[in-house]
Amino acid sequence: MNKKDNIEEFLRDNKPVVKNDPTFLLETNRRLKNVEGIKAEVDRQRVHGSMALIVTLVIGIVIGAFAVLVGYICPFNLEDLGESSFAGIILFITTWKQYFFILLAALSVSLALLISRTRHAGM
Amino acid sequence: MTRERFIDLVRTEQEPLRRFLLGLCSGNQSMADDLAQDALVRAYVASGSFLGLSKFSTWLFRIAYNCFIDQYRKASLDTVSDESLEAQTTLSDDSTDDSFRYQQLYMALDKIPEKERAAIVLHYFEDRDIKEIASIMQIPSGTVKYLLSVGRNHLKEQLSV
Repeated sequence: MNKKDNIEEFLRDNKPVVKNDPTFLLETNRRLKNVEGIKAEVDRQRVHGSMALIVTLVIGIVIGAFAVLVGYICPFNLEDLGESSFAGIILFITTWKQYFFILLAALSVSLALLISRTRHAGM
Repeated sequence: MTRERFIDLVRTEQEPLRRFLLGLCSGNQSMADDLAQDALVRAYVASGSFLGLSKFSTWLFRIAYNCFIDQYRKASLDTVSDESLEAQTTLSDDSTDDSFRYQQLYMALDKIPEKERAAIVLHYFEDRDIKEIASIMQIPSGTVKYLLSVGRNHLKEQLSV
């Protein structure tokens, strides 16, 4: 018998013996249950994040629509405000309203995204 | 895959899996069992990605091997050796012929590189063929043959068989 056979025989004859331990499977089951709990919580947070995003968007659209509606129902005469700084701001917004509202919408969406991401990261 | 189905599959695999990790951890039973638990959790989380292209046990052993490698890289070599020696001391308390034999074997396994150890343990303790070992360790078959040959020589030096 050569040296290779000796070592192979030695290794095969000395396989470590591991007893079938029922507590091992119980512990595995316990850990898997915990994992399921964490997975469920992650899914729940994801749904909450999406809901927050949708709610923010809907609120933004409703407020925007309401503002447009108010603008049509109650027309606003800038000349009534005179030369005050408030009148200047209103005039500026009125002149650049398209860009102003696009910027506002972009900021709202970014904020909503940021909030939903921060929730996930904080888990 | 449901938890119950997963546990059913694991029931038959737990013994070989724990033996494989026991060999890799050079006889440190608690470390091996901890790694086995970690591997099973990882496998359960990733069970959706198991496509059945390989055997369930091969897939499970691959995850367990990766867990061991991660742990091995994280822990300093000194810590691993200390824990192994601790395990061996526990074994030696048994003072039976069997425990002495295992003590010698584990000490020898602890002294060889982890890739050689993994190949040796899979081939001789778990009776896995070269192709399956290659799949578990994600290396070419030729490298497995080389690791087995070099590992045997290193073990021979340690054990003087």
